[in-house]
Amino acid sequence: MTRVLLKKQMLEVFSWLYRDNKKGTNRSKAGIIGYSVLYLCLFAVVGVIFFMTAYTMAPLITMGFGWLYFAIMGLITICMGVVGSVFNTYASLYLAKDNDLLLSMPIPSRRIIFVRLFGVFIMGLLYELIALVPTLIVWFMNVEFGPAVFFCTLITSAMISLFVLVLSAVLGWVVALISGKMRRKNITTVLLSLVFLVAYFLFYSKAFDYLQAITSSPEGAGAMVKNALYPFYQMGLAAEGNITATVIFAVFVCALFALVYAGVSRSFIRLATANKGAAKTKYKERRARMRSADTALLLKELKRFTGSAVYMLNCGLGLVFFIAAAIALLWFREDVFRAAYELVGTDKDALCLAGAAAVFVLCSMVDISSPSVSLEGKNIWIVQSLPVSPAQALMAKVRLHVLLTLVPAAVFFLVVEILVRPSAAMALLLPAVSVLYILFSAAFGVFLNLKAPNLTWKNETVPIKQSMSMVVSIFGSWGITAALCVLYFRLAGIFSPAGYALLVAALLLVLSILLLRWIKTRGAEIFASL
Amino acid sequence: MLKIENFTKTYGTKKAVDNLSLHILPGQIYGFIGHNGAGKTTTIKACCGILQADQGEIYINGVSVKTDPLTAKKCLAYIPDNPDLYEFMTGIQFLNFVADIYGVSADVRQERIRRYADIFELTQDLAQPVSAYSHGMKQKLAIIAAWIHEPKLIIMDEPFVGLDPKASHTLKQMMREVCGRGGAIFFSTHVLEVAEKLCDKIAIIKNGVLIRSGSMEEVKGDSSLEEVFLELEAEK
Repeated sequence: MTRVLLKKQMLEVFSWLYRDNKKGTNRSKAGIIGYSVLYLCLFAVVGVIFFMTAYTMAPLITMGFGWLYFAIMGLITICMGVVGSVFNTYASLYLAKDNDLLLSMPIPSRRIIFVRLFGVFIMGLLYELIALVPTLIVWFMNVEFGPAVFFCTLITSAMISLFVLVLSAVLGWVVALISGKMRRKNITTVLLSLVFLVAYFLFYSKAFDYLQAITSSPEGAGAMVKNALYPFYQMGLAAEGNITATVIFAVFVCALFALVYAGVSRSFIRLATANKGAAKTKYKERRARMRSADTALLLKELKRFTGSAVYMLNCGLGLVFFIAAAIALLWFREDVFRAAYELVGTDKDALCLAGAAAVFVLCSMVDISSPSVSLEGKNIWIVQSLPVSPAQALMAKVRLHVLLTLVPAAVFFLVVEILVRPSAAMALLLPAVSVLYILFSAAFGVFLNLKAPNLTWKNETVPIKQSMSMVVSIFGSWGITAALCVLYFRLAGIFSPAGYALLVAALLLVLSILLLRWIKTRGAEIFASL
Repeated sequence: MLKIENFTKTYGTKKAVDNLSLHILPGQIYGFIGHNGAGKTTTIKACCGILQADQGEIYINGVSVKTDPLTAKKCLAYIPDNPDLYEFMTGIQFLNFVADIYGVSADVRQERIRRYADIFELTQDLAQPVSAYSHGMKQKLAIIAAWIHEPKLIIMDEPFVGLDPKASHTLKQMMREVCGRGGAIFFSTHVLEVAEKLCDKIAIIKNGVLIRSGSMEEVKGDSSLEEVFLELEAEK
């Protein structure tokens, strides 16, 4: 029975890889290999960052502080795994649409939980491997190699993965407990997640200083880890081939897992079958307001967005980052300008262009339109049967993306303009380029999702977090920004910053028009046939 | 009111519906019965413009669903077999959304929402998110949404599934009222007793082919509808 359940869970976890949601069929072997290679390349790109971090820490190994290297890199790996899977855990464990079906079958709830946790484990593993693989490469490149080191390192790595699962399960469980009692749980979840992310980024911004401090004075850092993070001290020792430490760390993690598994199993049925709604709101008739069909569709999209913490967090984080970046720019203006001078010089228009590049990067964190077609899911019959054209329905998705991004982006580029005081031409071109890029990314998101829609999801995290349109949207946005930056430096002698901004604006305008035309014609046909 | 002419729909190599023709006049309640997978839902979805016909034409109030889908859809309302409604909306938000799309004025929609929500005893739940609704409540909400713009034609796929007896009775009354004011109802059902008592005309579909249609008397004669249906199903 467990094998059958595990197979089902794996089919769900890896559906993004083998299932062609557009055609509703399984991909060919070549398709699966192609997608695997693509994802491996993406992981490799992010993995380089962790490789550089591990490489910076490598001197610790030769200095005799190998355990400290492994303890710190292990902690970074754990953070990566937990950050990657924490938002997924609650939805996967407690909101899965087949929970009721499985609970109605003669399957012990402990086994359902085991299978669900295994899915979370695999998802966490995918994220943590991005950090763990570079850690191990640098480790085995520098450590005195032997069978004890090899096997103990492997066991420790496996325990790190289990520890990520433990933390993810605990956080998912806490979210489930809280969400059962919260009134505005979407907003609360978003706020709590933002607090968590701010703390994470504050730590990350200081990480390089911390790493330098550790490598320059490993004794002090080592003493701190030994005293305050004793299990991780044992984890470091274990990787060095210390069998006693390996046993201690493994027992510690396994005991934690057993405890969490028992706790989650005990409360699973209660939490999974709890009435997810908050206290009943009494209906009071209010005067209705008549709106146009386009406004109604736009409001529907807005409610879809604000009705899901997963959607807001994964696709709307850039909206908050725009405001945060504007505040950071005002607060740390001298540091930021010093860095910008080194990059583009002191020309005010060139600085403004750097501001436009920042808008593009921040826009890559706003992907509201990218899963919007897939999110129609089983509800697609509603817009298809109502007297609205498919183009109207699709344009509502573009409009929501643009409208929500415009205000925070305007705050950011206005701060840039106030601080830089560019030429009159650039003062007009920065908003123009920014607005056109927002329009382009909104249309690009809908375009991508129409090319790879998935309406058969059981859990909304699938179209939001595991869809091809989201991946291409985020990385495509980075790629476009990088290409435009490279092109600027290549054409520096030909175009002034304002001239280049005009060129980019023209390019974005043409691309946006082409994409919008496609959405209204071919895209509308695809939407109607879904 | 609804004219289906030589409608054919194929999925891959399988003909789901083959050359189906039906004509539903104003004032008629038209039942559509057949076994699972016979092609009822495909036909119904094509009538609502959700599916495109491979061959044939469908006219709603004289307007082609293929060439002018928006005008055609303005005259009709559709209730699917499984009411998957927007779970991120409350009941009242969903009703207002549908009313906005059909351009129902504020005063009119308010009066209709009040009337139908009271009839279905859903008023107190209108502020609840749809995600908190039971299947039956969602079905009631879908019915109210369908009735909110007083459509000339109402197309329903298994409308009685999930409804309590009182709500079923109310729906039947509402269906008769629609026909009384010159509208028409086209619905599929597996409950043959309901079809027998409620319908003016009936069509039986088997493996995508219309095997019998006409007035209730013409179709069943002296037998019961169940006997006729089972007889036709048994025929190869």
